[in-house]
Amino acid sequence: MSQPHILTRHMVANRTDSNTLASYEQSGGYSALRKGLNSMTPEQIRAEVKASNIRGRGGAGFPTGVKWGFLAPAEPRYLVVNGDESEPGTFKDRQLLERDPHQLVEGIIISAFALNCAKAFIYIRGEYPKPARRVQRAIDEARAAGYLGDNILGSGFSLDITLHLGAGAYICGEETALLNSLEGRRGEPRLKPPFPAVEGLYAKPTIVNNVETLSNVPWIVNNGGAAYAAIGPERSAGTRMFSLSGHVNNPGNYEIVMGLTWREFIYDLGGGVPDGRELKCWIPGGASAPWFTPDLLDTLVTIDDVGQNGSMLGSGAVVVMDETTNVVHAAHRLVRFFAHESCGQCTPCREGTTWLERVLWRIGHGMGRPEDIDLLLDVCDNISPGLRWPPAMTTICPLGPSATAPVNSIMTHFRPEVEAMIAANELVQGGVSIG
Amino acid sequence: MADTPQPELVTITLNGVDTEVRKGQLLIDAAEQAGTYIPRFCYQNRLKPVGLCRMCLVEVEGPRGTALVPSCTQPCTEGLVVDSENAVVHKAQEGVLEFLLLNHPLDCPVCDKGGECPLQDHTVAYGPGESRFVEEKRHYEKPIEISDLVLLDRERCILCARCTRFCDEISGDSLIEFVDRGNGTQILTFFDEPFASYFSGNTVQICPVGALTAKPYRFRARPWDLEAIESISMVDSVGSKVSVQTSQNQVLRINGVDSDTTNHGWLSDKDRFTLQAIHSEDRLRVPLVRKDGELVEASWGEALELVAERLGSVRGDEVAGLGAARSTNEEAYTFAKFLRSVVVTPHMDAQLDDALSDEFLAATLNRAEINDLETAGTILVWAGDLKEELPVLYLRVRRAATILGATLIVIHPRRTGLSDVADHVFTYRPGEGADTLRRLKAGDGPFAEARQALDSGPVMTIVGRTGGAEDPRLAESVAAFARTLPDAAIMPLARRANVYGALDMGVSADLLPGRVSVRDTEGRTALEDAWGPLPEGRGKHATEILQGLKSGDLKALITLGADPVGNHPQPALAGEAVESAEFVVSLDTLLNATSARADVVLPVAGFGESEGTATNLEGRVQKLNRIIPPPGQARTTWSVLDDLARRMGATLGAHDAETIMKEIASIAPAYAGIDWALLDWGEGRDGVVLPGPDGTQPLQHMPVETSVTATTGRFTLHLGRVLYDNADVVRNSPSLDVLVQPASAAFHPRDLAVLAVQPGDSVRLAGDYGTVELAVRADESLAEGTVYVQANMDNSRALGASLIVQVDAVRGEGS
Amino acid sequence: MSFMDTIGLGGFKGFAVTFRQIFTKKVTRKYPDEKRQKPQRFHGRHVLNRYEDGMEKCIGCELCAGVCPARCIYVRGADNPPENPVSPGERFGFVYEINMLRCIFCGLCVEACPTTAITMTQLFEMSVTDRQDAIYTKNELLVEPDGTPNHSQPAGPLIDLNELKLSDGWMRATSPAGRAAYEGIPHWPGSAGAGVRPPERGQRSDGGEV
Repeated sequence: MSQPHILTRHMVANRTDSNTLASYEQSGGYSALRKGLNSMTPEQIRAEVKASNIRGRGGAGFPTGVKWGFLAPAEPRYLVVNGDESEPGTFKDRQLLERDPHQLVEGIIISAFALNCAKAFIYIRGEYPKPARRVQRAIDEARAAGYLGDNILGSGFSLDITLHLGAGAYICGEETALLNSLEGRRGEPRLKPPFPAVEGLYAKPTIVNNVETLSNVPWIVNNGGAAYAAIGPERSAGTRMFSLSGHVNNPGNYEIVMGLTWREFIYDLGGGVPDGRELKCWIPGGASAPWFTPDLLDTLVTIDDVGQNGSMLGSGAVVVMDETTNVVHAAHRLVRFFAHESCGQCTPCREGTTWLERVLWRIGHGMGRPEDIDLLLDVCDNISPGLRWPPAMTTICPLGPSATAPVNSIMTHFRPEVEAMIAANELVQGGVSIG
Repeated sequence: MADTPQPELVTITLNGVDTEVRKGQLLIDAAEQAGTYIPRFCYQNRLKPVGLCRMCLVEVEGPRGTALVPSCTQPCTEGLVVDSENAVVHKAQEGVLEFLLLNHPLDCPVCDKGGECPLQDHTVAYGPGESRFVEEKRHYEKPIEISDLVLLDRERCILCARCTRFCDEISGDSLIEFVDRGNGTQILTFFDEPFASYFSGNTVQICPVGALTAKPYRFRARPWDLEAIESISMVDSVGSKVSVQTSQNQVLRINGVDSDTTNHGWLSDKDRFTLQAIHSEDRLRVPLVRKDGELVEASWGEALELVAERLGSVRGDEVAGLGAARSTNEEAYTFAKFLRSVVVTPHMDAQLDDALSDEFLAATLNRAEINDLETAGTILVWAGDLKEELPVLYLRVRRAATILGATLIVIHPRRTGLSDVADHVFTYRPGEGADTLRRLKAGDGPFAEARQALDSGPVMTIVGRTGGAEDPRLAESVAAFARTLPDAAIMPLARRANVYGALDMGVSADLLPGRVSVRDTEGRTALEDAWGPLPEGRGKHATEILQGLKSGDLKALITLGADPVGNHPQPALAGEAVESAEFVVSLDTLLNATSARADVVLPVAGFGESEGTATNLEGRVQKLNRIIPPPGQARTTWSVLDDLARRMGATLGAHDAETIMKEIASIAPAYAGIDWALLDWGEGRDGVVLPGPDGTQPLQHMPVETSVTATTGRFTLHLGRVLYDNADVVRNSPSLDVLVQPASAAFHPRDLAVLAVQPGDSVRLAGDYGTVELAVRADESLAEGTVYVQANMDNSRALGASLIVQVDAVRGEGS
Repeated sequence: MSFMDTIGLGGFKGFAVTFRQIFTKKVTRKYPDEKRQKPQRFHGRHVLNRYEDGMEKCIGCELCAGVCPARCIYVRGADNPPENPVSPGERFGFVYEINMLRCIFCGLCVEACPTTAITMTQLFEMSVTDRQDAIYTKNELLVEPDGTPNHSQPAGPLIDLNELKLSDGWMRATSPAGRAAYEGIPHWPGSAGAGVRPPERGQRSDGGEV
């Protein structure tokens, strides 16, 4: 099953030093920049991006062209690139940053031109030193080559890009927390409204886009928005990077056209579950997404289809679990992650995620009580009222509700298994130490 | 000033009922005004909303269905449909409370907040009956001292950020912050930097749980023990509204009460914790009479007879009175009446020549109210360091500059607490103020932008004496200039709690009761009709009184809550004056440097012990209430003076404080119509602002000495006040006494080099009135040629306030 | 009318009750030589208990004073000296006084106490010759470190110190969970001299419903 290469075309063509400017230019790099800056107006570029129907690749899937349209007219305005790829199971941006940083830099310059921003920031998580080094090198090379700095390619447009490393907080992937972190504050989500497009970085209009989203921009400018929109289903246009991991024979990053079935993705592309074991369930879009079970194998991989089935494609992390997986332990690992990464700002998330984690730990360690199942569900309900999809929330940002997804998933799909696990273990009286 | 425009109204549907509310008002406030209380923890009406605690969630109908939103961040818009009482909301509230209680230690029986705790109250009203949490709770070291006054119990903390927001937004002392994240989030100070804020007590007051506790109140009482009464703080002249809380006749706590016009609910720690001085061991409880050089206890009869006899044995105009600046209006009035009509002397002063002139303070034209700060476009502060002298006024100015966006200009000999938030900061050498003023008026050089800002009104000008050695006429010149600015409002500053009231009551060499000049023959005749014949002419000011006592022109001195020996700018003169006086009688609550040398000391009632009124720096008359009896045999001042008058064969007619106020209202023109019923505290009631004077008394622009030469070793002195100084109330409050730092001599680093001294070395400062030896420190904000010394400290008091001092490095042993 | 007519047969009838009672067992006791067995939950004089390790139970929370309908209790707390704590925790009962002249022995103080610091004993003889003596201070109320109770007056025919040792049979009527039965571990701590009390009828310590 062959898939087109759009984002990965350059790193596929050159498997040794695709990160260098020479290699990038050799395969036609910065031609979109020339085209955009020299022969198009910012309005035209914005129109092409809007026409491409590209939706944000960070998780929420908001149409990028529409988002750009919200940018308030005040000066100065900023473009911020979200490279804080921290969702467990996601490693696609890493490859784009490491193997093709110039594609991103080109995308940023074009987008900044389209949005009339004189300053852009790339925020990369601190755990990505190598990608950060390569991006910095790409920025330096681009500046030396005249693609960055004052009066780029004689167009009169000037741009400076600053790379900023995060300090290790998942929550900084949330755009407003990222902006706080960038400003030197605690990485805590802000209240919305105001949205960043109106009041973002340093209280100025700001567009925050994902690495993958902006990496698509050079292709869109070169080939036109219509060409991009023509790839894949109408509301899930273009190719998309997926990080496939877990119990599959061929884990890794995949650039695919959306619209194929999960069976095709997991079995044909991913090579199926190792050792002939049965597929038990998978997470379709990162740790925050509710899980899918094999009855959904023949549904389509599109943003809307997954949404209708009660989950999301999110950041494109697909984690496959086979029949040997203990769902309580799996859910505990995920919830522990969210509890660890909660910023501690608002009550339900700070207290609730830790509570969920501790109860799951107890169940996983033979100290579960029958009433714990209802307790877990009710605690989830207090963080995300109604436990519906898309989630309602009592919190400031979606991190808290994210932690309820694994719990709700195991209770929906595997409740007998959890009950059996509790029943099999005698209640351990007294002296419960919680690790 | 400018009229506030009529607010635009919108209609919201709250729990099915259409309600008209102000557009943009926060839903939580709008609902409360409509009678629906929405529970909250992090929301505090004087702080910016943050929506952290999630307790105030309500269901709001939106384009994508209903959603739970925090009502503290939801502005009211037309057609907003809100449900704050349905099952979804109740479930969310119950959930939030269960979450908050998971790790809350529930040590309510030992917690100071228990009984007045919003978390307890909300749990009873909205919370679940039981916890389902069987795990071990979060543990931290139980209370840690984050400052000398405040303890923090992180286990009890619910992380509402009220304290951190207060410090960031209101006081500007950002010394506490969230650290760590998730379940480990906690409030902490920075490393090695205590929470040393003048306003730390406010965080204790607004803490919705018992996480922050104040040492002076810790474990002293439970809320249900306390009786409370509203009053105003008598620590400074802002007139902050307070709630005085007592148990078993002990004042145990003073909390701020939110008053729109004065303090917005905030207090300084000095307002809050000097209550300890009320119950000081050293409070005077019985009259003392000097026998064989020693003050010994005496009966009231004996002491008063002696005073009456001695005062009767000299001519009336050989007697002088000092004080009443910390008394109530009623007490001050009785004092003035006693001196003028019983003793028959014109020599009296409520001040000690350490602030501004009496007439200027009492009768400034275009007198500002504190609330003029809310609408001011530009604020000019040319006064002492407000943070040190009038901390609550500092908060209000800071609010105007940071939150309301007024342009703030600060002029002072060094950096002040307001410098960080000011748009324009100018420092100058004391003595060169007139020159600075001239340059400001001209918009000369660096003053250009500030001068331009002064053209966009309304301009509020706060003027005061920047330091003890500053010429008091400078402030009047500044005020004269300020009156030419658009929509000018002028606030002349003096610090002592009721100095404005005392001047209004006529405790002044220049003024008769009701801001009537002694030169005003018409007013004088009117007063004589009520009081009988008055002494002729203008009286002597504090300094003249002291000189008179020293030279023998004056024979006797009566002080009322004043300490000239401790506080007069010429300490040596004051000491000699009291020594040479034939007879000194002090009415006071504590023995001080003056009363300790008096011949008779009469114990009088102090704060919380007597009823009356006080007039603050904007001319607002407010009610002071009594909640405890005075200690021992101490009596109210007016009854002591009434008794004394009778023994001297006269009558004052001071039967009770309310009657005295009626007399004041009938005699003092400015106080006409004031009576206690008008001043009763209650929701939204905050006293009465006296009408300002008519425009018949133009201020003169007085020329001020500018020629100061800085030859080697000659410096101009900036004698600035700090909040915790040698004041009796601080010294007698153990919690604050430890915070008093000794005075030092600060110089610009280049001057240090010229003097060849290092920080830590000692210098000798010799002025016109005395000599002191102080440790040196560097202060880059000072102009060269200036030495800054903290006023009124044990080790700086002897220096006095002379403009020029000779500075010599101290060599020899130890250096 | 004759005498017999006057008293009539009814007179004898009336005395029949008296005569009958002469031969029944008497209820009058020769108090104070002979004392009655008092019910287990008798509301007598209070004591302030200690934990088995000798620490004071009272934390000075003033809930007893707050609930007291006779307003006869005066309590003041103070900071526990960390190096030599009087009670576990931050605060201890610095002043504890009960005015027995005003006390109505209702036992609400015992009910309100969060630490079972105050309980009642079976001693009820508290006559005094000076009104001042009726105010029991902490010295008199607090048991010795080994649990032996104190009394302001020496033992005598009217004061049986042994009755002070008989703490009343009180147990908290409701558990923290609001149920009459206790849950999980018993919610009352052991006391010096008395140890952990066994549950009474109507109470279970094993978490089950009664």
